Amino acid sequence: MSTETAKGLRQPKRANEKLFRTLGIEPVPDEKKVEEAIRHLDDFRNKLRSFVVTMENCVKCGLCADNCHTYLGTKDPNNIPAGRADLIRKAYKRYFTPQGKLFGPLVGAEELTLETLEKWYSYFYQCSECRRCSHTCPFGLDTAEITMVGRQILFWLGIGPQLHTATAGAILKTGNHMGLTKAGIIDTLEFLAEEIEEDRNGLKVEFPTDKPDSDILYIPSSADFMLNPNTLKGAGMFFKWVGANWTMSSRITEAGNFGYLMDQTRIQREMVTRLYEECTTLGIKKIVWGECGHGWRAAKMYVASYSDLPGVAKIPMTHIHDEVAALIESGQLDLDPTRNSQKITLHDPCNYVRACGLCDQMRVIMRAVTSDFVEMTPNRERNFCCGGGSGVLFDDPAMYEYRILASNKKAEQVRETEAEVLCAPCSICKAQLYPMVKEHKLPVEVVGLIDLVGHALVFPEE
Amino acid sequence: MEQFVGQIMPYFTVAIFLGGVTWRLWRWMIPRIMHNITLSPFPGTWTAAVTWWVWQIAIFWNILKFDRALWIGAFPFHAALIAIIAGHAMGIYTLGLQFHMIAPLLVSADLSVWLSDLLGTTMGLVFLVAVLYLLYRRFTVEKVRAISSTSDFLHLFLLLTIAGLGNYMRLVPDAHTTYLEARTFMAGLFTFNPVALPQNAFFMWHFFFVQCLMIIFPFSKLMHVFGFFWMRWMVNRPFKEWAPGMPGAKVQVTK
Ligand code: SF4
Ligand code: SF4
Ligand code: SF4
Repeated sequence: MSTETAKGLRQPKRANEKLFRTLGIEPVPDEKKVEEAIRHLDDFRNKLRSFVVTMENCVKCGLCADNCHTYLGTKDPNNIPAGRADLIRKAYKRYFTPQGKLFGPLVGAEELTLETLEKWYSYFYQCSECRRCSHTCPFGLDTAEITMVGRQILFWLGIGPQLHTATAGAILKTGNHMGLTKAGIIDTLEFLAEEIEEDRNGLKVEFPTDKPDSDILYIPSSADFMLNPNTLKGAGMFFKWVGANWTMSSRITEAGNFGYLMDQTRIQREMVTRLYEECTTLGIKKIVWGECGHGWRAAKMYVASYSDLPGVAKIPMTHIHDEVAALIESGQLDLDPTRNSQKITLHDPCNYVRACGLCDQMRVIMRAVTSDFVEMTPNRERNFCCGGGSGVLFDDPAMYEYRILASNKKAEQVRETEAEVLCAPCSICKAQLYPMVKEHKLPVEVVGLIDLVGHALVFPEE
Repeated sequence: MEQFVGQIMPYFTVAIFLGGVTWRLWRWMIPRIMHNITLSPFPGTWTAAVTWWVWQIAIFWNILKFDRALWIGAFPFHAALIAIIAGHAMGIYTLGLQFHMIAPLLVSADLSVWLSDLLGTTMGLVFLVAVLYLLYRRFTVEKVRAISSTSDFLHLFLLLTIAGLGNYMRLVPDAHTTYLEARTFMAGLFTFNPVALPQNAFFMWHFFFVQCLMIIFPFSKLMHVFGFFWMRWMVNRPFKEWAPGMPGAKVQVTK
């Protein structure tokens, strides 16, 4: 197996075979890879309509090129959404269409080779599955669907980034990406409660974990335990303020879903299954999701069609922004926007605005909890991705450089607003924007949205 | 050659075209929509979703919004193409009297023929210019050329040839074929009683290349005419949201 980075291609560090075996994947030897990949493609073409229709209908108009931040950042034709899809489309034409079999390269058909698979690995892990291409394409063709197919096949062949594969392993073990154990979780939560008590004049906030007979199951992003604690604190304060009977679960302390980002079968399903097992054991009446873009899409849009458990459709599920916004709109929360008085702008996480219909809610909250909110342009469903989406958060030098290039557009957007604070209510966005801010020398602080809610909430006992 | 192009080939062409399109659409129906992948903001109802599709088709909204330079070519190209296809059907079938038939009191027979000629000529030229523009764009704009294969250029050259021949017949009196000649010929085909092509080499080649276009249609990106609906059916459809409100909480959402 070739573990070194293929020549001239930007590729993230690979997971080793041992790691794949722990996930039940026996890496396919090089001489079998192409054949296996074609077999999987054939499966997908009989299974997944979005894949087939996107494969067969691109007119190569080129409109999507300047609408993808990866092409804007790198000017690499394989990062044009249509060019990215072509990495699969060429083989698709060659093996599955009469014109490709007859005319080959004339109609853009090409044999699949190991080199092409190396390109898949490079370019499907530069795509952030942000769907701006689908949003802008005249037909709605969705290159994110192609990326997902590409990543899935690579996973089955035993090719995947260390970051994603190790994270997938952590999910199976602990139920979260960071590998947090129950003891670690409780520890951190106690610490956060103490911090709130100090900062907010003795305000006592509880963070229940695995509490039986709870009404609400809150699903936080595990990154919030380490990187974005203010988001977790904000959620705790919000639940306290509204007097909810809530809990988190140590078996699924994860709003994200790296399964969705590399293995949309076994690993993605594991999270779904756990989620509903926890609902039945804890007596949950409603699930409220924390700040994570791809994770919220994986939950909101995929759970109903992915679960093996029949009860799924009965337990309602909303995002914490939905809940906060609804209470603000019915005038129920006591908020002091002057506590967040810096000039602040909002980065729309792609998965919220283009895949989950979570858009106006963020504005309702922003206006209620801050006093100097400016929009960046373009915004809402037309917004550009931060460049880190779908877990493209690699630290190896070539990929790190790529991440910064892919965030060029975002940096430019933020700079134009002259904001002092950049609100990015998604764990992956935050993880991407911290280095973006540093490398592009932007004078802004990156925060989540629930952080601001917690800060603005006025408690009588404070 | 003339006999083949005019009296035999058309039946194969139509069979391949209809059979091919049916086969492709049937293939698209085999794989399933596995998950709801609708793009947000979600349309509230199916009516809203379909209205959005129609809006897209009517003015090529996405292209207008995200790539003006493309719209300048793509919109006139498609609009003229539709006008031309409709014009061929109506003009030849009614011998140019279509406008008179639609509004007999407003438009006299002569005026109708004059209008039909005028529109036909204009749309033919608009189409030709648009094809040239799109071809130029495909050659010169780097991002477009980078993702094009030979067939993408060939499609445009084929359209250019067809439009060029058509316009030549319209504009050069010597090369002209009358509506009546064309209708007699087409009537023969439709009644399975094929007659000879009009005595005009330009007509024969025009007719030949149109058939080539119909033959490659089901085996190429030209299927995007249907693909539009298949994709929009997946990505622009209603989604039912759960209502906010937390059971058991002291503070509740009020209506
Ligand atoms: S915008 Fe759509 S049709 Fe045009 S090149 Fe991109 S994917 Fe293909
Ligand atoms: S999903 Fe986003 S990153 Fe991927 S090709 Fe489309 S626009 Fe580019
Ligand atoms: S990380 Fe954030 S901005 Fe980027 S794709 Fe996810 S949601 Fe989009």
